[in-house]
Amino acid sequence: MNDGYKPDWTPANAGKEFACDVMKGVQSSHDGMTNFAATTVRKSVSVTKRDKLTVDDYVQGILAGDRMLLARAITLIESNSPKHMELAQAVLQRILPYSGNSIRVGITGVPGAGKSTFIEAVGCSLCQKGHKLAVLAVDPSSSITRGSILGDKTRMENLSREKNAFIRPSPSGGTLGGVTRKSRETLLLCEAAGYDIILVETVGVGQSEITVRSMVDFFLLVVLTGAGDELQGMKKGVMEIADAILVNKADGDNKQKAEMVKVDYDRMLHYLRPATEGWQTKAYTCSAITGAGIPELWQVIHTFREKMMENHVFLTAGRFKRWNGFMPWLKIIYVVFFIRMRMLKRIASLSKTRLPQISFRQRWPHRNLLTRLKNLKNTIN
Amino acid sequence: MGGGSYYVEALTQELVRSAWAHIQEVEKLGGMAKAIETGLPKMRIEEAAARRQAHIDSRDEMIVGINKYRLEHENPLDILAVDNVAVRLSQIKRLEKLRANRDNDTVQSCLEAITNSMETGRGNLLELAVEAARARASLGEISDAIEKVSGRHKAVIRSISGVYSSEFADSNEFQRVRKMTDEFEEHEGRRPRIMIAKMGQDGHDRGAKVISTAFADLGFDVDIGPLFQTPEETAQDAVDNDVHVVGMSSLAAGHKTLLPQLIEELKKRGREDIMVCIGGVIPAQDYEFLYKSGAAAIFGPGTVLPIAAGNILEKLKEQLYWDE
Repeated sequence: MNDGYKPDWTPANAGKEFACDVMKGVQSSHDGMTNFAATTVRKSVSVTKRDKLTVDDYVQGILAGDRMLLARAITLIESNSPKHMELAQAVLQRILPYSGNSIRVGITGVPGAGKSTFIEAVGCSLCQKGHKLAVLAVDPSSSITRGSILGDKTRMENLSREKNAFIRPSPSGGTLGGVTRKSRETLLLCEAAGYDIILVETVGVGQSEITVRSMVDFFLLVVLTGAGDELQGMKKGVMEIADAILVNKADGDNKQKAEMVKVDYDRMLHYLRPATEGWQTKAYTCSAITGAGIPELWQVIHTFREKMMENHVFLTAGRFKRWNGFMPWLKIIYVVFFIRMRMLKRIASLSKTRLPQISFRQRWPHRNLLTRLKNLKNTIN
Repeated sequence: MGGGSYYVEALTQELVRSAWAHIQEVEKLGGMAKAIETGLPKMRIEEAAARRQAHIDSRDEMIVGINKYRLEHENPLDILAVDNVAVRLSQIKRLEKLRANRDNDTVQSCLEAITNSMETGRGNLLELAVEAARARASLGEISDAIEKVSGRHKAVIRSISGVYSSEFADSNEFQRVRKMTDEFEEHEGRRPRIMIAKMGQDGHDRGAKVISTAFADLGFDVDIGPLFQTPEETAQDAVDNDVHVVGMSSLAAGHKTLLPQLIEELKKRGREDIMVCIGGVIPAQDYEFLYKSGAAAIFGPGTVLPIAAGNILEKLKEQLYWDE
């Protein structure tokens, strides 16, 4: 603006608030573009090279809850390149002891069922309660162009502004099953970074989402009140693996219809085997717009969690199903971890002594396993 | 009406037929209000825009001066520049003055009457709004009073894909870039990821959507940011999603304020390596300033999308140590 001048219609008494200037034209081709390409990429513009991170950088960053490093770690884990695998496995191995303490909820439903709006509503209220929430959203990759459009954050505008919410959309990369090839590992990373509630939003085909089921504790199916063909249109398969069915958009004129659909689903669910042992899957209604029904649904998830904790199903059914996906060495760590928790629980209940702060979260030192357990036993006895 | 010209008659007939199809589609959804709720009309417009962009880029459609008979050198053109910061400051001053000089009790009661009318569904909302405005309530205050009850309309953003490539796929340029993105994935373990951002009070997102769908068709993973983001929000999203590039679309002359802020915010978050490109209506006078502020590339009107994508990929290669 330095070489500019005031336009000739500038009022004589124009003060500082007269903000117009005329910028002189510059000698260039079409809008500063030099050729048909109409594209200027200057070779002279220097680019900041991407720094390379070590295992320690990643692990320390994640454990400190650094979002930037968590984001980059997720990229590393999701990478298909063989040269990243070793690093990715090393990071995973180091953070594994810090994972496993979150409520994992899978959310599925056909496109347009309102999964994102539901997540937006429930997420904002959870963040206000002080929870740290991670949302893993999966969008389909095109099988032809192999590109993808990840638009979840446009539907979660308020949530994406929350400080305590981490939303990560990922392309499915051609994997079937409703999630990405590495969603399981991404979950672990988020847990290690201190996120205590993790929502996994699936691609939303409404079928073949068994993969998601095996990695979450609670599986929610979001449905709509459609044009009367709700039940036929719905695949029985996905109903069988749901822990709750949520009829969305129960507001305004639609409210009564939603209640009727809910009753229909409840009736249908009677004939299905429950997805989780010891839990009757039921249908609920909610409105993501007015917020009605959302606290109630979250209460249901809580009740589910408490009940499952009691029955150990939280550890067995959900987490054990994850078995198949693990590498052999991971299996060993898991077994040890699992046995340890069972043992501590049993010891605690036998002696009726309160153990000092034994939580699932507790760090797990790899060394001196036996001595530690012996010490524990001694202190109790 | 065509006056006997069979050719014009045929064209009119065609126009009527396709318009009717659109009207029927809207009717099926229960009228225009319902259709807007689903985001369909917006999507159809974006679809048409993406198709047209493909036609222009592939030179199926000629626009003299853009993709045909371009001048070697355009005449230098003086343009009017408005200093956004000065405008904002003077506007704030005016608002403060307004608020200090009006009868705030009357304003409050007017606004309450609006909220009340929304709750009960009684009274003429327009009349109440006019009254509030006469009492010097600002537009923001009036809409806030309504929002308390109604909530805020959020445009449903739907994405489209495959439109651009269906029109353009067999061109050499297109295939070359697609090969480049495949090669990129082989090297980097994931596809190049770009976030298309709309920042500031600039709600013209059709261009951004056309870019999004075209880049996805070229094999990019494309993040679409919400409308009206602040530079902080855009930077945070870019960091959380770990994108390679942020492409900001600027059609309302906010670029000279927003681009430096965005780059600053990325720096603050430790990710100055995320490249920032900018496209839209940007006068040649601003190029120098933008490059100095850290823009990696500028794509003005007339940009051919595959060429732009190819250039971005070249830059990325340089950044990601491919030369080693």
